[in-house]
Amino acid sequence: MRLLGCGGEIVMITQMQVKGLMFDPYNNAYIVVLRDEDESEMLPIWVGKSEASAISLALEHVAPPRPMTHDFMKSFLDAYNAKVISVVITDLNEHTYFAKVHLMYEDSEYAVDSRPSDAIALAIRSEAPIFANDSVIRKQSSEELEQWLENLKPDDFGKLDS
Amino acid sequence: MTDTAQSNAQDLIPLSVSRVVEDSNTDTRIIVLTRTDDADTFTIWVGAPEGDSIRRALDAATPPRPMSHDLVKSFGEHFGITTKRVVLTDVKSSTYYATVFLENKGVERSIDARPSDAIALALRTHAPIYATPDVWKRRSGQHLDAWLAKLDTKDIDTQEV
Repeated sequence: MRLLGCGGEIVMITQMQVKGLMFDPYNNAYIVVLRDEDESEMLPIWVGKSEASAISLALEHVAPPRPMTHDFMKSFLDAYNAKVISVVITDLNEHTYFAKVHLMYEDSEYAVDSRPSDAIALAIRSEAPIFANDSVIRKQSSEELEQWLENLKPDDFGKLDS
Repeated sequence: MTDTAQSNAQDLIPLSVSRVVEDSNTDTRIIVLTRTDDADTFTIWVGAPEGDSIRRALDAATPPRPMSHDLVKSFGEHFGITTKRVVLTDVKSSTYYATVFLENKGVERSIDARPSDAIALALRTHAPIYATPDVWKRRSGQHLDAWLAKLDTKDIDTQEV
């Protein structure tokens, strides 16, 4: 899918589905796994415990006794009939993901800067689609490779020699 | 919405957030609210992420990326929705209830919230925080000051070791 970027350039985006949440014991964090429709691309996003719980409650359609932070966020938007149209994971820079929440309010469209965890937690509650810029998906695979290379110990090279 | 939420603004007890105390045993935070007209205090227990969010607002700390309540504030700024006031409206089996009063172009709306989310937003938007006289009467933690002082001292000791 094509989307016009802020500078007028064409940005390619791919719709992603939340496939699940995994615990990453090495980083003591959670990974939100996004996949595209034909499952050819994968985007793992590391989030904290409370952000993971906000996403998991929405995925499982659990209605907590009191509104949690993202339910409150949705109530805030609902109070004035502001609608979440979509969320886009826009950038990846030094292991930090950036996202935009696209909203419709009184016939105008707004794009609000957000962390992907908030954007995803809100998108699921609003039944809004989640997209990722294709450049993020490409960058993700190269950052992943970089991280893998960084984790290589001298011993690993030794093994190659023998 | 409860009847108490609609009670006269004159009857409401104005509160300010004095501090956020860490309760490391239970991974919760204690929010100490002080009555602005006579310095009497009131405490509520909130979850660690919500408590930390309130602390960041108190410290006027700007995180590198917008946190959840910063995002709510940002939505308000984009749409011209202002947070008029936050009222702690009820307490049932030790659970406090809050109502956030919003305004946009003269249209007022109120939303149900946990006190933690309501306070986290109020501090970011410089909106006043109140409790209804009924909630104030039934508040917990009237005698917690001494205990909190002790807890603070203990925390300092631990850090020095």
